[in-house]
Amino acid sequence: MASAQTQLIEGLNALSAGLILLTAFGMVATRQVQGVMRFFVVQSLFLSASAFLIGFSRNSIHLLALGIITIAAKVIAIPWVLKRTLPGDLYERREINQVINIPSSLLIALLLAIAAEFLVSPLLAITPDPVIHVNLPIGLAGILIGAYSLIARREALPQMVGILAMENGAFFAGIAIAPDLPLIAELAIAIDVILIVVVIGVLTRNITQTIGTTEAASMSELREEPQP
Amino acid sequence: MTLIVAVSLPLVAALLCWVRPLRSIAWGTTVFCLSISFAASVMTAGQVLRGGRAVAIPGWIEVDGLGSLALLLVTFVCTLAAIFAGGYMRHGGQSSERLWWFYSNSNLLVFALAVVPALASPNLVWVGVELVTLFATLLVAFESNAGALEAAWKMAILTIMGAPISLLGFLVLYWAFHSSGGGTAETWASLSAMASTMPPNLLKFAFLLVFVGFGAKSGLAPMHTWLPDAHSQAPTPVCAVLSGIKTTIPLYVILRFLSIILASPEARIGNWMVVIGLFSVGIAAFLLIQVRDYKRMFAFSTVEHMGIILVAAGFATHEADYGAVSQMLNHSITKSLCFYVAGMVLLTLGTRQISEVRGLVRTAPFVGGALLLCSLAIAGAPPFPIFLSEFSILSAGLRSGHNVAVAILATLIVIAFVAIMRHVNGMLFGKPESTAPVERVPPSSRTAVLLAAVPVAVLGVYIPGPVHSLLQLAAEQLGGH
Amino acid sequence: MTRTILYNLIQLLFVLGFAPLYAGVLSRFKEIIQSKRGPSIFQPYRDLWKLFHKDEVVSSETTWIFRVTPYLVFVVPLFVASLIPVLTDYPLAFAFMGDMLAGGFFLGLGGFFAALAAVDTGNPYGPMGASRTRMVGFLAEPVFIIVFFTVSFVAQSTIPYIVQQKWVASPAAFFSPAHILLLIAFLMLILAEGGRIPVDNPSGHFELAMIDESKGLEYSGRGAALMNWGGQMKFLVLTCIFLNVLLAPWGLAGDVEPGHVLLAIPLILFKILLFTIVLVTIESSLAKLRLFRISEFLGAAFIISVAAMIASIFSASAA
Repeated sequence: MASAQTQLIEGLNALSAGLILLTAFGMVATRQVQGVMRFFVVQSLFLSASAFLIGFSRNSIHLLALGIITIAAKVIAIPWVLKRTLPGDLYERREINQVINIPSSLLIALLLAIAAEFLVSPLLAITPDPVIHVNLPIGLAGILIGAYSLIARREALPQMVGILAMENGAFFAGIAIAPDLPLIAELAIAIDVILIVVVIGVLTRNITQTIGTTEAASMSELREEPQP
Repeated sequence: MTLIVAVSLPLVAALLCWVRPLRSIAWGTTVFCLSISFAASVMTAGQVLRGGRAVAIPGWIEVDGLGSLALLLVTFVCTLAAIFAGGYMRHGGQSSERLWWFYSNSNLLVFALAVVPALASPNLVWVGVELVTLFATLLVAFESNAGALEAAWKMAILTIMGAPISLLGFLVLYWAFHSSGGGTAETWASLSAMASTMPPNLLKFAFLLVFVGFGAKSGLAPMHTWLPDAHSQAPTPVCAVLSGIKTTIPLYVILRFLSIILASPEARIGNWMVVIGLFSVGIAAFLLIQVRDYKRMFAFSTVEHMGIILVAAGFATHEADYGAVSQMLNHSITKSLCFYVAGMVLLTLGTRQISEVRGLVRTAPFVGGALLLCSLAIAGAPPFPIFLSEFSILSAGLRSGHNVAVAILATLIVIAFVAIMRHVNGMLFGKPESTAPVERVPPSSRTAVLLAAVPVAVLGVYIPGPVHSLLQLAAEQLGGH
Repeated sequence: MTRTILYNLIQLLFVLGFAPLYAGVLSRFKEIIQSKRGPSIFQPYRDLWKLFHKDEVVSSETTWIFRVTPYLVFVVPLFVASLIPVLTDYPLAFAFMGDMLAGGFFLGLGGFFAALAAVDTGNPYGPMGASRTRMVGFLAEPVFIIVFFTVSFVAQSTIPYIVQQKWVASPAAFFSPAHILLLIAFLMLILAEGGRIPVDNPSGHFELAMIDESKGLEYSGRGAALMNWGGQMKFLVLTCIFLNVLLAPWGLAGDVEPGHVLLAIPLILFKILLFTIVLVTIESSLAKLRLFRISEFLGAAFIISVAAMIASIFSASAA
């Protein structure tokens, strides 16, 4: 009885892991700025679903609380804060010319996911826990794919969402390997995420007002220019 | 108790600067609170010297030798920077409406910097380092011109990118700690104690993640590209804090982690640290040759010194560790002095380009003299303290058998020395270019420079007893044999 | 033995008979979602009837390919239908005639001849549409092969009936990341092969933008009826593969009782109805992709299927 329930929970957790990987691919593949935001929100939902599942199966109040904090912070608060502080036309932008075209980006993302699995496999020999076997590689893959989408993007908002997606990956691995982290640490980490968003939002707004565009390629004045 | 005072006063000062009636005296509040904080950290250092550690809340807020050294450096550099900022910021034409925001933000930065060495739990240390990054980014963007915003944006992206990576590293460390049966609370001390029983694969993986995540914040190559921009575009007192202590604090965390790994007999990464450190020093040395902006010159020098500290920690002997911590100390005090002087040059002449500055000894003797002395100090000439610490690192390396690394390091240090002195020579001597009126340096800035010069002058020839003992204590924490 | 042959025939009749109904329900739902009334769901039957009673006009420039193709396109899905589980979950008489790869080849055969016939007429729009169809086809090939490989790797067999029995045997397998990734990849494949939005607009009349519809442009009378019917059957067959083999292999008759087999018919119709709702939602919320973006779409499907394959290999080696 208990093992069937555990199996179901592990299965649902694996399902949310697969969907998290899918949303990570989606963030690399989409052109619209708003699309990146939507994929991030969906990814955070699956992250909190996983937190609820693991918290339920291990009777850990911490994880249930973390799930609620994740929903409150990443699904509700962050998009709302960004919508309020950033100018509206930032959301309608599309990246027409990407540094690397989308099929190649997706291929690189896939290779990163495979690399994450390989990096993690010597560590997984320590424990037989199937939840860790699923969460740790996909969490690391989320971090790597988020870092890649950060490098490959030019617009400011997808870059910030890339950082937040990396954070999602770290959390996803963390809820499996460190489920009993003291609540203070979890709260501090959550507050830190919000602060990151606020700071980058403020910066983006200032940049848009001063420079007019947040395309990183156009901000390249600081260099060792040869003097005429 | 003094520990809590030292750490929390900057937060109090930040809040005070927010309060409307007190906004006009924001500078005074800041200097007052930070001076008391400095005194408190000196007293804490005294406690550590007597008892080995200073404990405020056991398991959460406590410092040992290395921590109290870092705390001391934080408060010293930040207090002097606050003193310097008084006249400098007013001269910069900023209205007092924005200045309170500047001081409040700076106090928050100081608070975050002070909190990192004072916390004993590694996960909260992560939060502290991230807060440091955030507040520093806001400060770099203070002047809101295109250059500052670009620098702040690059810094934000490159350094915050490391945040989730290092978070995963700390979580893996936590996992390793608990999977090898650590039932107590996780602190640096208990981690070191359990180091040999933790699975070495996990430790290495966690260290790799933390190193990648925090290495960008410390300016280790190849993730250093944001550093010259940020450290030159920010207002000068902020640059002093950034170069002087903000790059050292993530390196402090990396070194702590390194000491845990060295305590585990199976994980061997000392040589990798030497290689990466040499890579940073090399890149900095060669970039110093073709730099055009003197603030960027000092920023590249920061990259160089961070690399040297990492190399020293990689040698993993007790003498090399002593060299590493004394290099941390000497670099902080010297680099902040250099930035004060650079700020004075900027104030008097109004240009950042090296090529446009000529004959400084004639146009502004105080500034010119200070520039000469501090460049000699940062480049590593005797009788200044950096020469002593670099020499001890090199000799420790020779004694532990890393001959090739020492040879490469010595060559690179010489290249950097020549590069810096060539630029500074051009700035100091020769005919003055323009006859533009020279601004006078405000008295508060002069005071700060003189105060900052005292330890630089003294420590090169004589290291007082307590300082030496503190350095010894700190070196023990680094875990070399 | 005769029973299984009989059930096979019933299966073929099911596919033959209900394909136009499927197409009718699909277009009716799409219109309803767009706040229109839409044609009756039996309209495709009336269209087929009308077309069968009209004269055929065949260009004198065409060859035997043009005349043979409608029959081929009509018969090929019926062949494939006898290979896949439609009503029963145990193999029927002709099930071992070919496996999934053979099914893919058959469908490819039909598409190949349709493309050739489109070129055969000399109409400028024909070859244009044919080349686009081939582009979509060859981009979709790797996806199909990887999906096929993953599924048969896990099930240790390539016969669709056996794959269906083993693929979602346990809840753990149902929820595994490989499964969901594979479902998404195959769904994208169906959208591409069936000529639905976002790859192609099935109700568009603008020849310059047609991809899949162009194969039926030149036909009239009986030829047109067979081409349309064959296209509808092909889409029904793909849907049955998706539903019965990959997604939800429930509701199929488990034994040889004729009552159960006949009971399976409304059950599978119900599953198809649910899938239609999902399909209509997807179609109504996306826009048709520009031609060169189709390669990105199918590239994404390829990546997802490779990820599914990697995930299943890793979980198989870890288990």
